Amino acid sequence: MSGHVSMKVTDLRVAVAEDGEAILEGVSFELHPGKIFALVGESGSGKSVTSLAAMRLLPEALAITGGAVSVGEEDLFDLSESQMQRVRGRRVAMIFQNAMSALNPVQTAGQQVAETLRLHTSLSGDALRQRVVQLFAEVGIPDPEDRFSFYPHQLSGGQQQRVMIAMALACEPEILIADEPTTALDVTIQEQVLDLIRELTESRKLAVLLITHDMGVVRNTADEVAVMYRGEIIERAPVDDFFHNPQQAYSRRLIDALPDLSRFQSIAVEEPLLRLDEVKVYFPIRRGVLQRVVDHTRAVDGVSLSIGKGETYALVGESGSGKSTLGRAILNLDEMAGGQIRFHGEPLQDLTRRQMLPYRKRIQVIFQNPYSSMNPRLTVGEIIAEGMVSLGLGLNAAEREERIGQLLQRVQLEGDFSQRYPHEFSGGQLQRIAIARALAVEPELIICDEPTSALDVSIRAEVLELLQELQREFGVSYLFITHDLSIVPSLAHHVGVMQLGKIVEQGTAEQILTAPRHPYTRALLASVPRVDP
Amino acid sequence: MFAYIVRRLLYAIPILIGVNLLTFTLFFVVNSPDDMAVSQLGEKYVTPEAIAAWKKKNGYDKPLFVNAEGAGLAAVTDTIFFTKSLKLFAFDFGRSESGRDITTDVSTRMWPSLAVALPTFIVGIWVNICVALLVVMFHATRLDRWAVFVFVCLMSISYLFYIIGGQYLVAKTWKLVPISGFHADAQAWKFLILPVLVGVVAGIGSGARWYRTLFLEEANQDYVRTARAKGASEIGILFTHILPNALIPILTGVVVLIPSLFMGSLLIESFFGIPGLGSYMLDAIKSQDFAIVRSMVFIGSILYIVGLILTDISYTWADPRVRLN
Amino acid sequence: MDVKPLLLWSDVLVFLLVISLVLFFYRLRRDPQTRERWGQVFSSRLGMVTFTVILTYVGIALLDSLHFRRALDTAQGGASQEVFYDNKVTSVLDLVLGGMGDRFERTYSAPFALKSFEKQNMKDEEGRAIRDFPLLEHAGRHLADPADRWPDVLAKTVTALLWGLLLGSIWIAPQWWWLRGSANPWYASWGVQLVVICLGTWAVVVSRYYHILGTDLGGTDVLYQSLKGVRTGVLLGTLSTLIMLPIAVTLGVMAGYFKGWVDDLVQYLYTTLSSIPGILLIAASVLLFQVYIDLNPDFFSIGMEKADARFIALCFILGVTSWSTLCRLIRAETLKISQLGYVQAAHAFGVSHSRILGRHILPNVVHIILITFVLDFSALVLAEAVLSYIGVGIDPSMGSWGNMINGARSELSRQPPVWWTLTGAFFFMFALVLAANLFSDLVRDAFDPRSSGRRSEA
Repeated sequence: MSGHVSMKVTDLRVAVAEDGEAILEGVSFELHPGKIFALVGESGSGKSVTSLAAMRLLPEALAITGGAVSVGEEDLFDLSESQMQRVRGRRVAMIFQNAMSALNPVQTAGQQVAETLRLHTSLSGDALRQRVVQLFAEVGIPDPEDRFSFYPHQLSGGQQQRVMIAMALACEPEILIADEPTTALDVTIQEQVLDLIRELTESRKLAVLLITHDMGVVRNTADEVAVMYRGEIIERAPVDDFFHNPQQAYSRRLIDALPDLSRFQSIAVEEPLLRLDEVKVYFPIRRGVLQRVVDHTRAVDGVSLSIGKGETYALVGESGSGKSTLGRAILNLDEMAGGQIRFHGEPLQDLTRRQMLPYRKRIQVIFQNPYSSMNPRLTVGEIIAEGMVSLGLGLNAAEREERIGQLLQRVQLEGDFSQRYPHEFSGGQLQRIAIARALAVEPELIICDEPTSALDVSIRAEVLELLQELQREFGVSYLFITHDLSIVPSLAHHVGVMQLGKIVEQGTAEQILTAPRHPYTRALLASVPRVDP
Repeated sequence: MFAYIVRRLLYAIPILIGVNLLTFTLFFVVNSPDDMAVSQLGEKYVTPEAIAAWKKKNGYDKPLFVNAEGAGLAAVTDTIFFTKSLKLFAFDFGRSESGRDITTDVSTRMWPSLAVALPTFIVGIWVNICVALLVVMFHATRLDRWAVFVFVCLMSISYLFYIIGGQYLVAKTWKLVPISGFHADAQAWKFLILPVLVGVVAGIGSGARWYRTLFLEEANQDYVRTARAKGASEIGILFTHILPNALIPILTGVVVLIPSLFMGSLLIESFFGIPGLGSYMLDAIKSQDFAIVRSMVFIGSILYIVGLILTDISYTWADPRVRLN
Repeated sequence: MDVKPLLLWSDVLVFLLVISLVLFFYRLRRDPQTRERWGQVFSSRLGMVTFTVILTYVGIALLDSLHFRRALDTAQGGASQEVFYDNKVTSVLDLVLGGMGDRFERTYSAPFALKSFEKQNMKDEEGRAIRDFPLLEHAGRHLADPADRWPDVLAKTVTALLWGLLLGSIWIAPQWWWLRGSANPWYASWGVQLVVICLGTWAVVVSRYYHILGTDLGGTDVLYQSLKGVRTGVLLGTLSTLIMLPIAVTLGVMAGYFKGWVDDLVQYLYTTLSSIPGILLIAASVLLFQVYIDLNPDFFSIGMEKADARFIALCFILGVTSWSTLCRLIRAETLKISQLGYVQAAHAFGVSHSRILGRHILPNVVHIILITFVLDFSALVLAEAVLSYIGVGIDPSMGSWGNMINGARSELSRQPPVWWTLTGAFFFMFALVLAANLFSDLVRDAFDPRSSGRRSEA
């Protein structure tokens, strides 16, 4: 790497203020104009801390213990706080992960962009407003004149992130730090925002520090990449070299988590286990003086699909498409407005709580957030035993205990864990416990509601592998609900793509991923990162 | 918005009926008019004739719900329930046990109450917000910790001591203002200063502490970090970002109280001799005048419900995310 | 001397309360998260100090809840076998205080005063009628010369403090031995214990010779009255909250869990209740109960029982009228928990409603109950004073800080002002409420997920 250096971080060290525990142990890198430098790592690796430390925006509990960050001639750590305030937003700008919460909810989008300009320039009045509108246009916000007076909640997620970008670029900074700018967005929007950042990097000769956990984003966006692991940069390379020839085993693991679109599950046609016919779930919209039901939100609007025995059906869609509601309807947790659900040919809809009991044993569920899906006040043993007890599996205490031991072993949690409490486990371990809890009642179908989206990529792969192993071993079927097409190829036999409560396209995984017919499927697929040769 | 307010007003009706039934049960079923007569007349003068006469004089000689002797509508209207409870809905409060017209009393006495309560309320909020902002500027320093300790100390002192102490120091020892009393003319301010001061000081502990928590909660939000990344100064962030957002929870706690300001404060008014509704209620309790208590319960409930509706409306004004429907 | 134990209804409730609280906390110990949080509370010096102060108050209240009646002397030579008991009820606390409450004067006297506050007609040595401040019955009678008073007080103080230190060391030594290895700052607690024991010894010793806080209008020792107010304050705070808890928790959890019409009904109930001005509702209820007591005097054999009945009624009324806030909080929390994965998973496992409520919902709202319990406690102690002022509080025959303030509020305008009654009530009340408020802050920091979340995030 050669040429002009915009920002140089040298041997940056950060520690917990209270006990001196090191968080960053000597991080160094440089940013060059017109280039995107990606800092990759999993949660807790210290990548966000690096960016906040560079901006001197660390929370009070953390302290910078050494190193230097220089922008041009200035060392940022030598500046006074008020001098630093002139650097922030003017020379170095930052955009954050969740635009909805990163924007002030009671100020209009325009005001918030104008604030940056007012802080660093002498613009005011109409000129200020014109400049903001111009910025809005530049970052691709439609109707920029009108959007000026919109509040953040009136904008879509993608537009909110665009406002953040406009705010960051308002004073023409040399350096842009983007901390997981697309993580909270749906994949199709994610792609557009990344395109925008790439464009602006070129057109404005920005030096960009892109912080992300997503290797796909790195692949499609960055020029240079550095992998962070436990507060250190363990590998650094130009992006092409990195993906073709990673040096560290850890980097290898991260890259391997990317989907391989050439290998699919072979289809084994089996008897259908679960059949949905025109399933509808509506939520009432009430209006007026008497709160009469004037309309319905059609969360699930006529979905038909069928899942065979021992098969995985992946239900793919973005947030709000109704896929989780469908899962809840199958579990009889949400009431259906119409249609039929048949399990082994027997109808499940309109069953009372009591009538549903025999089926509870046969249909189980794993939820997205492993932390909230376990009662913090019960031991792991009690959590796993709950289903066995309430569904009357006819085991005595000793037998139950033995079975819990076996289950924990089966999900690769060795050791005496059953007396411990959920908060002592990591997310990946908890999701294994959730799997064990579901398996405890020997179900035939498990509804997996985004079981891996809260997990880091390297752990995600392990959990997915475990699920597949269990399928081979017990012949259990999965309805796998996900927003992430990239985990589909290795996992699913059939795929259904859901949009606005309807399935727009379904077929075998191979059909959908190699020859999508519906434009929405194509859009989803286009944003899936892949490591092409 | 309009539909919303209409709905809220409709929803107020069952609540008021509930309040009405509850007070009716308390005052006429749990405690019969005979019991009331005995306690009003005093043990010495209790004879069956005296009780009957007292009941007749105060209109308690009718049946509770149904008057079997009444013809037509009178079977329902000529009862205690109708005359004493339902008439409240028409703002007909009747006469007190001592024979005064409650409606007149209330309408004259609410203004002195408001004269004390409104300045206390406004100055109090203003002072609390200022103190809290000042403390938040020094967040996580020794000053902040001591300030919180002082707030808790102030909270731990009974309201009575604020009044007694205030009267003793300001009025008796320093002789700055009269100890108590009230004038409705231009001299009124003299009599109002001390009660308002006492009310404000007594509220600082809990008020400022609460606002401080609200400010700090907002200070931990993501958008504050965004503002810092823009290059805004800490003071600027406090006033342009934290304060407007913290106003939303402050409004919830505060707007609901505004209508109830008419009710005044029991303690302040009785200690400072202000002829408002607060001292009116206290006198009613002390002389066991249940007719007044009943009316005040009803008025209080109405004012509270109005407060709830105002709170919802104020939300739409302070928080662009909220739309009522 | 023959005594007859007397169990007032409030005594029964107190001891039931203590037993259930001990059991409750014993059970909670099982849960590691709860233990960790309590650990956080007690790892701070402030936590130790405030908790010790609260325990001291509770201890005084418990001592004052062991009541008995003394047998009257059968002076007439034992003509009848029947033993008559004094109508005056004594408690163990009275014994500990060494008759502090029996040393009456005629009227007001200042702290450590030798003479009464008011002049009186008397006869001097020669039998002439004069008007002067009479000497007090129970203060400084052992002094040869009134000028010896302060040296005497000092000497008595030193001896008392030495005794206090000795007693304190004996009391603390076993604790020290027992808790040697503990990481918690027990020394803070021991410091407070030592101070309390020294002050207590000093008060008991010196009060034999002087009225430390003076006497009130009726001539009762003010320090004694303040101490008697402890039981009333502590009991009112805990009993009312305990009566309110089951109502608030049951309704709140049901509303949040079952939603639908149950929720509508509960919301209607608490909106209706909270729309009524609280003080009027309480006042009306107390007055109505008072009418009931007055009309049925035969239910109570002695005055103390009547006062006790009114006290319990007050606790009930305060409890029944104040559940709406907690109910609202618990309803909101239950709504939130019902959406969480573990409750959903329980539904998917076909767990029954009652089991979900008992195993998953209730244990996870306990922190709200706890925070409310401690917070309400101090609010109720403060409310007692206001209610007594309004005239709907504790029965005047039962000692309470509210009654003390009420009796002395206008006496500051005397010349010289009578300040000691108010001071006594002020300090005893302030120390308890302050300790409870500070303690509740710590409990909230430890148990409120919002505040603890902030800490772990940083």
